[in-house]
Amino acid sequence: MMAGYHALVKQVLDGERSLADLPLDLRAEAEEAVRLVHAVDRAPVTLPAAVEERVMAAVREHAASPARRAWRWLHAPRDVELRLRIRPWMVWGGALTAAASLAILLTRPTISSSPPETRVASRDTVLVRFVLYAPGARRVAVAGTFNQWDRSAAPLVPAGTSGVWTTTLALRVGQHQYAFVVDGERWVADPGAPAVDDGFGRRNSLMAVTAHGGRVL
Amino acid sequence: MGLEAEASDADVVRAVLAGDVERYAVLVRRYRDRYARYAARMLGSRDIAEDAVQDALVRAFDRLADCRDPTKFAGWLFLILRNRCYAERRRRQRERPLEPMDDGLAGTDRPDGAYDQLERQRALERSLQRLTAEQREVFVLKHVEGMAYEEIAQVTGATVASLKMRMHRAYDRLRELMKGHL
Repeated sequence: MMAGYHALVKQVLDGERSLADLPLDLRAEAEEAVRLVHAVDRAPVTLPAAVEERVMAAVREHAASPARRAWRWLHAPRDVELRLRIRPWMVWGGALTAAASLAILLTRPTISSSPPETRVASRDTVLVRFVLYAPGARRVAVAGTFNQWDRSAAPLVPAGTSGVWTTTLALRVGQHQYAFVVDGERWVADPGAPAVDDGFGRRNSLMAVTAHGGRVL
Repeated sequence: MGLEAEASDADVVRAVLAGDVERYAVLVRRYRDRYARYAARMLGSRDIAEDAVQDALVRAFDRLADCRDPTKFAGWLFLILRNRCYAERRRRQRERPLEPMDDGLAGTDRPDGAYDQLERQRALERSLQRLTAEQREVFVLKHVEGMAYEEIAQVTGATVASLKMRMHRAYDRLRELMKGHL
């Protein structure tokens, strides 16, 4: 089996050292290594224009597919007539549940949250409360399909020094994907909601907002 | 045409998401060839690269609503293409393990006298296909696309130290595979 290149020769290939800096006994090896790298074909690769036609044909077909139309239907704003009948025990029950959830959250050592709480804001939007327990975070935001994944559009505010961060957003009725952004760079899926793989090694949390309120999927 | 050239990726993405499907052609034209070389060198075949780029562009459209930062559409599309290339590599390994591929990628319209260089180029193309996918990728991004280790780390998510380790193993393996061509 052939020996590998000397570490100094590899530095030459990496562009971190010049050939002239090498000891004389490594020059021949380095020249061989440079011939290898010079054999790389860097010519541009041009694809035929038919690629664009095929992509756009597929795009038009997918855009017209029932699944895509259903997805757009879920996202599209529309008027919804609401008739709410709330009994006092529902209010107290909800408050107790929220208090119990918060108590559980505060006992967890790492980042955690509860599923977003919601209430109806208008005929086509619903107020959704996002909560994340992130002690030590300098800033937290929530980004998702509802704000074009803008990591600075919806900051959460800390609730004192407890490590709990919250914000309330008016979201349109439909299905939303979202994630928390901690310190401007770390994406964190909502531990209190189901998540889907975004295809690139990250997890997006899922939430459905209906005219009757929000629920995690 | 001027308007098309001026429109940012983010503007086009937002227009497409708002229902203007035809605007997606702007992004197709913008990135079709830009990523073709990476795919061709990763997959060792211009034809397979064409399929990969096409599939990546269609898949990007299907998932456009998941693009967290439309201003970074280029990097997001690159990740889709990269995943597609890795998947294609795995599929080929299952079906035709280590079969060398040569469909003229190294080019044929070369002047006389460049025979040795051309032969070496073809040998290197074949050798690249025998590296691991990770080794080949770092080699392609650095020596074909001309990216610095820091830039490669940004697009792949790997650390500079691990990228260097992969690259140095790739150099050793290529030396072995290119024996007789250097």
